[in-house]
Amino acid sequence: MEPMPADVRLSHTAAIILQAIHAGQIYGFSVMQMTGLPSGTVYPAMRRLERDGLIVSKWEQQSIADEEQRPPRKYYRLTRSGRATLDAAYARYPLLEKMIPSPEMERA
Amino acid sequence: MNRFWFATAVAQVNVQAASLLVPRSDRANWTREWTAELHHLCHAPDDVIAGSPNAEPFAFSLGAFHDAFWIRYDRLRSGGLPNLRSGSAARCGLLLAAAAGVALIITLALPGARSAILRLPYRNSGDLVMISSRGYAGAQSPSIALADYEEWTTDTATLFTQIAFYRPIIQGVHLAHHAVARLSVAQGSENLLPLLDLRTPAILSEANGADARLVLSDKAWRTVYQSDPDLVGRTADIDGRAVLIAAILPDSAWRLPGKIDALLLENPGALAALPAKTSGFVVARIRNSAFPPPRGGWRKMVETRGMVTRSFDCICLAHLVGQPSYVFLFALLLASLALPATTALPLGDYPRRRDHLPVSVNMQRWLFLLAKFTLIIVIVDLCSTDLAYGLYPSDPVTALYIQIATAFPALLFAFRWILQDQRKRCPECLRLLSNPARVGQASCNFLSWNGTELFCARGHGFMHIPELPTSWFSTQRWLCLDSSWRSLFPEDCSPSPGIV
Repeated sequence: MEPMPADVRLSHTAAIILQAIHAGQIYGFSVMQMTGLPSGTVYPAMRRLERDGLIVSKWEQQSIADEEQRPPRKYYRLTRSGRATLDAAYARYPLLEKMIPSPEMERA
Repeated sequence: MNRFWFATAVAQVNVQAASLLVPRSDRANWTREWTAELHHLCHAPDDVIAGSPNAEPFAFSLGAFHDAFWIRYDRLRSGGLPNLRSGSAARCGLLLAAAAGVALIITLALPGARSAILRLPYRNSGDLVMISSRGYAGAQSPSIALADYEEWTTDTATLFTQIAFYRPIIQGVHLAHHAVARLSVAQGSENLLPLLDLRTPAILSEANGADARLVLSDKAWRTVYQSDPDLVGRTADIDGRAVLIAAILPDSAWRLPGKIDALLLENPGALAALPAKTSGFVVARIRNSAFPPPRGGWRKMVETRGMVTRSFDCICLAHLVGQPSYVFLFALLLASLALPATTALPLGDYPRRRDHLPVSVNMQRWLFLLAKFTLIIVIVDLCSTDLAYGLYPSDPVTALYIQIATAFPALLFAFRWILQDQRKRCPECLRLLSNPARVGQASCNFLSWNGTELFCARGHGFMHIPELPTSWFSTQRWLCLDSSWRSLFPEDCSPSPGIV
């Protein structure tokens, strides 16, 4: 069962990572590049977010990776609960959207 | 073509090393993700990489170590400890190791038991011998006449470098007006402590006008003199004699036969004034060139005087105080011999084809069995020593009887438990088998199996224990299940990708 957004208290780092994923950085390394956080921080944080049901991970298809002659990558996306939690986090961290603009904000 | 082949190679080695720190169940998933991201990082255009193209892969690979440590930490914090589940081999080993640790702490806390397991505190203790006229029994009680000792002080210079005499007696120490404490005092020759070459604080070498020097045990100093810090150098009254208190001896320092509270070091004249037939202990330091190499800690000394020939035994002191070890080894031997008579030794039939059970798994099983035996032996040794020497200090012979009487049954029952426990474990994961189920009907035994079946909760297989051993099915038999069965066993559910 996914936790209710109000139950989840995001740290600033977790909120940044969530915002980065929301902004379209769907791979671990791209999240690191966007947030400037090291790998020893990003991956554990993403595992916690995944455990809390805020994001989900999936391996890309092998055929896609084979075409590009590289190993398949794992990508992440926000769940509905994750999106609600992120919306709640904007109130706590107002600069979050300005640091990492979301697609909606860029379109606006 | 990779531009940063060296940095990439180092990073890949780091990632592989970090993956070894990750629990096995998650290792493949993490290694796959790290490798994929590292590949992407190494092949990304320069403008995508924020830092130095050479340093970034290395920094990323170091981050993998952080990830691995986090995974371990997270698993511990969440109480996931799969190896310490009830019935696991790790839990069993940990409990036995903890029991051994507790037993060791208790042994070290009990003075009598501690001195029984520690080495002699004397320098070159291998040269020290107790001279006895009646073998081991004579070495535990006063058996040498003072007259013999006095003759040996001059006659045995070729055999011994030093020789000393002492005899424990009860004497009254005058403390205050009408206050007398009864102490067990070893009246000995003044060369006794130099002969032992004891590692102790300085001992006053001169009697300063007193009749003799008194070396108090730490226990007597605490109980009789209430730990008086200025006691050394003062004069005490022992049965009307003024003696100088020369030192306080640690309790562990006295390892010679006889229980004493104090040591009264007499000058040769005072000792010679005692009756010639006074019995006591004689300890000597042998001259190595005089005796052949020690065999079993025992040497024979033959004395011929006129037509009379007498023999004495020179028993190595280290051998004498090491008797608890020998007694325990004897109990261990007895228990090992009695074990086949009291319990079945076979551990069961396991698949002959080792392609199912790898060598490492088989080795693990035997190492676990060996570890259990080792820890049990240590625990029983320490506990029997505690009972014999620590809790109820008695004379050495009684202590030996107590030790063998406790060690033998304890070892026998413990060995039985070890074998029974080993038979009840899965040969692959070493967890205790569970869910026993009766199969078959004893009344329909012909060409049919009946007995009890237990299964490994992780789905490694079944253990069938026959109700009636037959020539074709005499002992319990392990039936391996291949990995296709694992989905039926919930405890072996593999975590989904990403879940730690």
